Amino acid sequence: MKGRFAPAIFLGIPSVFLVGLFVLPLISMLVLSVWRTENYHIIRDFSFHNYEVLATEGAYVTFLVRSLVMASAVSLICTLIAWPVAYGITLYGGRYKLLLTLAFAVPFLTGEVLRIIALQGLLGPVGLLNGVLLSLGAAPLRVIMYTNVASAIGLVYLYLPIVVTVIYLSLLNFDQRLIDAATIFGASPARAFLEVTWPLNLFGTLIGFALCFIPCLSATLAPRFLGGPNGTLYGMAMAQQFGESGTWALGAAMGVVLFAVSVLLVVAVSRLIDLRRTGFTGFGRG
Amino acid sequence: MRLKPGKTALLATVAVSYLFLYLPVVHIGLASFARNSNFPYPPKWSLDTMTRLFSNSLYQTALANSLIIGIFSALLATALAGLATIGLMRHAGRRASFYLALFIAPLFVAEVLLGISSLIFNGLFLGLRGNMASAILANVVHCFSYALLIIATQLYRYDWRLDDAAMVFGASPARTFFEVTLPLIWPGLLGAFIVAFIMAFNNLEISFYLLGATPTLPSAAWGALRYGVKPELYALATCVNLVVFLLLGLMFVLMRTGLVTFGHRPERERSAV
Repeated sequence: MKGRFAPAIFLGIPSVFLVGLFVLPLISMLVLSVWRTENYHIIRDFSFHNYEVLATEGAYVTFLVRSLVMASAVSLICTLIAWPVAYGITLYGGRYKLLLTLAFAVPFLTGEVLRIIALQGLLGPVGLLNGVLLSLGAAPLRVIMYTNVASAIGLVYLYLPIVVTVIYLSLLNFDQRLIDAATIFGASPARAFLEVTWPLNLFGTLIGFALCFIPCLSATLAPRFLGGPNGTLYGMAMAQQFGESGTWALGAAMGVVLFAVSVLLVVAVSRLIDLRRTGFTGFGRG
Repeated sequence: MRLKPGKTALLATVAVSYLFLYLPVVHIGLASFARNSNFPYPPKWSLDTMTRLFSNSLYQTALANSLIIGIFSALLATALAGLATIGLMRHAGRRASFYLALFIAPLFVAEVLLGISSLIFNGLFLGLRGNMASAILANVVHCFSYALLIIATQLYRYDWRLDDAAMVFGASPARTFFEVTLPLIWPGLLGAFIVAFIMAFNNLEISFYLLGATPTLPSAAWGALRYGVKPELYALATCVNLVVFLLLGLMFVLMRTGLVTFGHRPERERSAV
């Protein structure tokens, strides 16, 4: 029993909403990026001037490269930490599995600003770590105060929870009896992991990687408050175009660049994996 | 008992990660109740910081604004995501993957880009000044995908034949929804509402670009952070953390009492580890 109007209501309303408030804004950002800003006024001439500036001025190229390196490193570290954590919880969590994963989600839900405040309490010049070192009579660690290392620690702290949750969900959907089958037929635990667990959970791993990479790439807060003078990242520079410098058109072009990099990453991820091979059955059961 | 190096290593990683995540949270928690907020070990308890936070009128306005944004964004996001999930499972047919891609796309766009693009669209193309309504709507876009995923894990095991049965016996679609579907899926909707509320409440980057000078709790904290961390900020962060813990604790209690399952499938557990 399906009414004729049901698809229009159930799929139409959310689609119209997303097109109006998600797709159209992104398109308007694209349009603005080919205009110019002069003295806080927007001049509607079509030109690729903004992109030329971004491509030729050394600072912006440096920021982009630095952001890419930072985001790749942070996502890699997050994935490397998150895998054993999620796997450990699934294997040995018992009935407290869900509680343990929820506990990981709490910090992710607390806003970025408050978590950066917490991190400054840990890493800052008068923070916990250096406070302990000072009271033991040692010299404070310079590496973790206002450097790129501090930014990276901050970003790992900010996005580790989401990677853990995604990999955990992927492991939860994974049928653990397949491992039993593999071991019964004589596979060693390592081989069972490499040939069964890893490929079947690759989808979740890559999604987790992408969900960490994309916000790291356009991070604005962590580099500003934890990074040092050489720690400016692309997202932070972009946010400044909308605040202090008032050059919206250039900022929009930077936004388009960030968006393009994210899209490229997602396309690459979806090319890398075969959904059916990874056992994805989430939707479309009708 | 035989010592298993693999198990030890895994559990050690889990423990260290928890320490890493919670050390800062505990540190500012202690700092907000201590007299010396820079290095509160051993703590000398005092409520000075908390009383200063609650007597600050800026934070009170900001709290009210954040609550409004959180509640309305979460309501809208849950309603839309509920519609979208049912639509995806029941009515999408062969185009399911197209709609799925559209619905989860906001996950893959950074918050700051959502904020900036909405600012450009509203300010430049529609000529609207930043206001609460546009901030709420932009937050809904971001929370929508998370709500969708949470509701989907719940509805994944829902038996749609129940709806068909009700309609065969003459119930109207609306009556079927309110008397059959809703009583069975409300835990998923509640979970989505709670998570969407927490996310919209704590969001800085989307709200910031669309609100102009109207303060929210995160933007007030951001403003204060620029001039160096004050003890009040520690107190603020602790309060928000406590509320988040409380809400997730509520979700957990609901789960333990069997009201909510969140896609937990015991039959897929390993028989022996």
